[in-house]
Amino acid sequence: MKKTKITFASVALFWVALGILLCYGATRLGVGSATEPGSGFIFFWSGLILVVLSLIAFAESLRNREEANPGIGAMNWRKIVLVLLALLLYAFFLEKLGFVLTTFVLLSFLLAMIEGNHWSKSLGVASAAAGGSYAIFELWLKIRLPHGIFGF
Amino acid sequence: MLESLSSLAYGFTIALQPLNLLYCFIGVTMGTLVGVLPGIGPTATIALLLPATFKLNPVSAIIMLSGICYGAMYGGSTTSILLNIPGEASSVVTCLDGYQMARRGRAGPALGISAFGSFIAGTVSIFGLILLAPTLADFALKFGPPEYFALMVMGLTVVAYLARKSMARALMMAVVGIMLGCIGLDPITATPRFTFGILELADGIGIAPVVMGLFGIAEVLENLGVLTKADVYAGKIKGLFPNREDWRRSMGPIARGSLLGFFLGLLPGVGSIVPQFLSYALEKKLSRHPERFGMGEIEGVASPEACNNAAVGGTFIPLLSLGIPSNAMTAILLGALMIYGLTPGPLLIKNSPDLFWGVIASMYIGNIMLLILNLPLIPMWVSVLRIPYSYLSAFIILFCLIGAYSLNNSTTDIYIAVIFSLVGLLLKKFAFEPAPLVLAFVLGPLLETALRRSLILSDGSFLIFLQRPISAAFILFALLVFLAPLFGKMRPARGLSEED
Repeated sequence: MKKTKITFASVALFWVALGILLCYGATRLGVGSATEPGSGFIFFWSGLILVVLSLIAFAESLRNREEANPGIGAMNWRKIVLVLLALLLYAFFLEKLGFVLTTFVLLSFLLAMIEGNHWSKSLGVASAAAGGSYAIFELWLKIRLPHGIFGF
Repeated sequence: MLESLSSLAYGFTIALQPLNLLYCFIGVTMGTLVGVLPGIGPTATIALLLPATFKLNPVSAIIMLSGICYGAMYGGSTTSILLNIPGEASSVVTCLDGYQMARRGRAGPALGISAFGSFIAGTVSIFGLILLAPTLADFALKFGPPEYFALMVMGLTVVAYLARKSMARALMMAVVGIMLGCIGLDPITATPRFTFGILELADGIGIAPVVMGLFGIAEVLENLGVLTKADVYAGKIKGLFPNREDWRRSMGPIARGSLLGFFLGLLPGVGSIVPQFLSYALEKKLSRHPERFGMGEIEGVASPEACNNAAVGGTFIPLLSLGIPSNAMTAILLGALMIYGLTPGPLLIKNSPDLFWGVIASMYIGNIMLLILNLPLIPMWVSVLRIPYSYLSAFIILFCLIGAYSLNNSTTDIYIAVIFSLVGLLLKKFAFEPAPLVLAFVLGPLLETALRRSLILSDGSFLIFLQRPISAAFILFALLVFLAPLFGKMRPARGLSEED
């Protein structure tokens, strides 16, 4: 069996498991009855349909030739993980350090470390973008951005 | 009909007010800009600008936001033709023949025909909107919860049917979307559901962070280190006006594309992406030289470009007359209407005629502005494309983050956007389509409420969906669509993906 086939089959099984888990969660919320649908009603039935559909997808993945080419090929997982971590840190520090500083650090990191632009250029662009977007969104459009301990 | 025309005239008096003209202009310019830029789309832009519109009057705000919607359709084609990268998802097909035309030195006519085609289609769909929306709204006054439920089920089934890969997988995404949409407090009993004790989740997951993550950030992640320097068409673009032969060949495709886009756009959930695939497939089928498609046939540019523009007009019909969004873009507009204190639904046209007719008239004016913006200013848009992707990517991420944050001023929304960017990436990796998920996510809460109310009405009998004629018709149609794949090769979009 081809590797892609195994991957697609296991992905389908993941959905089956998720569906079962959702059904279980729904019963704890209270499924209710057709006369009096409870909070978990939609989750229970959706979960059940998900299980059925995933089993169909599982069967398809075993016999299908169409899945021979997965959505996208090679991806740079190391960079992807780095960016995701940077974004999580951004969310964490945003309200503590304020928009301008956090954005400057994030953009410098993305431009220089991830995209490999020259350091001096990256710092320049990052400071211009952080300041510029603050001016546009906060000062001009009056969208409230977090200020943090430094007040900007 | 006469009544509609006088209402339209009233709409023009609103749309032509200097301030509204200005907002219309800002909207279409922003729309074109984000349409040109790959990776940032109209949905992200609307979410980003929405908080800035809270202080405007609702009519001006919706005029501007809808300008972004259709403006992006014009802009998207420029990138497809010159770069072979779709500026918008709804311009994917334009790459096939548009880029080939550019390579043969015919970039000018390709850009020209897509601008004129878009304009004609935009006009057709505005007239369709004028004729159909008020009638449909009157009709929809008869709708109760069962009809709404059946209509949404039909919409979701059609979306899954039109998916380019397995229908089972598309339906899986729809079901997952429904559940994600229902996270939060139970609308009837206020029990928290799957909120895991996170306070911010009580109101449910917002559409803005989901869309920013799934489409905006996920796309940047996908391209990290993979996308090489884009090859911007360097030659001088001349002769934007298509010649007589071009026109002769394009008129039919533009007409067919407009009608197809408009009517498919009407169906809740179809949006503007799928129709343009179908319009391309249709032209290829009708052509006497199908083998030349993909090598720079003007028909392959004219029809899909007309189609995606007409579809935008079509999607406004369920939005304004039923209060049902067709895609993420209209879902955010729906949210905007509610924030402005308007109630979307069949009574919107009657209660807020200034909004409905003003916005429609502004669409017509906006289309004229776009024609002017797009033809002479193409060199300017091209220069925007010369921004290297290694810089652009960071800006796209920044805009998505601000867009996710600003609606509720909540960092939880940023976490949600980041999580959904990973989800979007994985879904793409394993060949799941995010479109049905987003639609179902949007419809989820509406669907649940309609279902539960129907069951309460019928005392627990599911037969209520079949006993009422309108809902029975919707369910029957959904069932036919659902069973269609069993009866041979009736999956239009799928056929296309196998061929190309």
